[in-house]
Amino acid sequence: MPTTALIVDDHPSFRRFARRLLEAADYVVVGDAEDGAAAIASVRALRPDVVLLDVLLPDMTGLDVAKELAVLSERPLVVLTSSRTASDLGSLVRTDDASGFIAKRDLTVAALAGLVGGT
Amino acid sequence: MRAVRLLVWAAGGALCAGMTLALGPVDQPDVIKHRAVVYFTLSFIAITIGVIVWDRRPDSRTGLLLTALPFVEVISDGKWIFWNHAFPVTLALACTVLYVPLFAHLVLSYPTGRLTTRLDRSFVLFTYGFAAVYALPYLLVFDTRAPHDRFVYECFDCALPVTHVASHDINGLTDALDWTLLPLALVFLALLGRKLVRASPGGRRVVLPLSIAAFLAVAQFIAHIALNGSPDTTWKDTSWFWINSLVVIGIPVSLGLGLLWGRTARSAVADLVVDLERTPPVGVRDALARTLRDPSLELALWLPDRGTYVDSHGRPLELPTPGPERAVTVIGEAEAPLAAFVHDPALLERPGLLEAAAAAARLALENERLQAELRAQLAELRASRARIVQAGDEERRRLERNLHDGAQQRLLGLGLALQLVRVELGPHANGASELLTEAEEELRAALDDLRDLARGIHPSILTDQGLAAALRSLAERSTVPVSIGAVTEDRLGDPIEAAAYFIVSESLANVAKHAHATTIRVSVTRRDENAVVDIDDNGVGGADPACGSGLRGLSDRVQALDGTLRVESPSGGGTHIHAEIPCGS
Repeated sequence: MPTTALIVDDHPSFRRFARRLLEAADYVVVGDAEDGAAAIASVRALRPDVVLLDVLLPDMTGLDVAKELAVLSERPLVVLTSSRTASDLGSLVRTDDASGFIAKRDLTVAALAGLVGGT
Repeated sequence: MRAVRLLVWAAGGALCAGMTLALGPVDQPDVIKHRAVVYFTLSFIAITIGVIVWDRRPDSRTGLLLTALPFVEVISDGKWIFWNHAFPVTLALACTVLYVPLFAHLVLSYPTGRLTTRLDRSFVLFTYGFAAVYALPYLLVFDTRAPHDRFVYECFDCALPVTHVASHDINGLTDALDWTLLPLALVFLALLGRKLVRASPGGRRVVLPLSIAAFLAVAQFIAHIALNGSPDTTWKDTSWFWINSLVVIGIPVSLGLGLLWGRTARSAVADLVVDLERTPPVGVRDALARTLRDPSLELALWLPDRGTYVDSHGRPLELPTPGPERAVTVIGEAEAPLAAFVHDPALLERPGLLEAAAAAARLALENERLQAELRAQLAELRASRARIVQAGDEERRRLERNLHDGAQQRLLGLGLALQLVRVELGPHANGASELLTEAEEELRAALDDLRDLARGIHPSILTDQGLAAALRSLAERSTVPVSIGAVTEDRLGDPIEAAAYFIVSESLANVAKHAHATTIRVSVTRRDENAVVDIDDNGVGGADPACGSGLRGLSDRVQALDGTLRVESPSGGGTHIHAEIPCGS
């Protein structure tokens, strides 16, 4: 069974490229969201296996979203990502509620697979 | 002129002394002679006061009139002391009522010595004419050989034209002549009342003592006429004598009192002038408050360029609406004021003092105003510098965000696209794969450059997570190991956090470049109302803040926030950078 994924990012061009990249790697991208509230709603509705979650969203931080997702009965694997590096983000990158963090510049299918396993 | 006054004074003394001595052989009771001694002594004192006032204020007619008044009264008394000498009797008769115009002139023209209204001038002129005409009947009609009991002077062999017109009722004549003085007395009282009503409160204060004395003198005179007294009753009747003596001395003494009061006010102002010479400019208000005896005095300085009042520190000031609580006196012209006093309304009763104080303090006020203007400009300059720095920071933040949301996102998208291309090409890409790798490396370098540029423009972590996180991020990237000591978790406000951040980041860059240090200590603490930034390294020292734009730029930034930046960098002793920035409230 293919791994399903949800992409959460406020930049449409990133969502577009990321979707194609994941699909090329045989993920099934079940949806995307541009802010935290939409992300939580989509996860509840679509139950993806993996959420690629931007750290800096217009309405809340990726950490806050991850915390909300962590209490769901079928919690997805959350991979945090950002156009900024971990040192620029400081305490905004913690992996208590997430599988890990990949800076967007380092985002490859291999790096993602390394964190979530699968495909 | 002083010689003339001395001569007049000596003549007055001689006259009074002569009169007293000449009394000896006159056939009069002793009590009259004793009273005459008292009277002439008082007259001499009056002349003396008159000469002193004349000497002090030679430009005013007051002194001259004050001297002349007792003079002519003494001369007119000669008619019964030198009763059988033609010249003194004739002179005395001619001077009989000369005291009337002199008195009116003195009182109505006091304190300036000038008659200000036309009515006053006409009245005084009329009384001079009246005095001249009044003497004529005496000189023409007076029959020295006629038997009468009213006058003690009987000039039987007078040589001067005491015309022997028969008159059997000389008493009736003198009574009639006395009564003609009554309307003059009433008009005089009316004019004196008018003068008092019209006077400013300060002016009234000066005029009041003399006016009271004049009023009493005229009241006494009217009572005298009304009670049908004759000139010599003033000498025979004890009460009249003392009242009359009181009037003689009362006029010069009350006038002197008025001048003394005016002088007290003036000497307070003189003290003010000395005070102003000594006190620093900000003390002008205190000096004025002391002089005006109003501790609540506020000084408002007018800045013509701004069209507003400010206090000594250049802060804008709103003048209160004058009322029972506070009064406002504007100094200078209404259209172009210099300053305004906000003071106790009681001071309005002494406008002379207010004016004099304002005049004395004018130069100091002018100076004070310039300083206030300077302070206001300085405060504005400081505020505008802070605004410029803040606007610069905001602009940098905006630029950083634009770079991040724009170019950086596109480059990141491009990176993903290159990965897709690699997937599309599959395992048989050959040369294209190498090209792709090269492009990806180029892209990575571009992203690095862009990130460094964005960080240099504005550290996003500072805005997002505060100073402590931003400093930790700086420390992580530093090539020289950095130990972050205490860093306040309080948000200090964007400009202060930005300043502290840039002080640390610039210092770390300098240490990495020049200091050959192995460790750096950084701390940012709150001390009282200041944020205190300390950066120490164990490098070679010798940093000179005057060289290089980095530290100087930081110093400017700190000063724009009213802070201070100190660099201690002894050669071989490491570098210590210490900044203190007030956090305001």
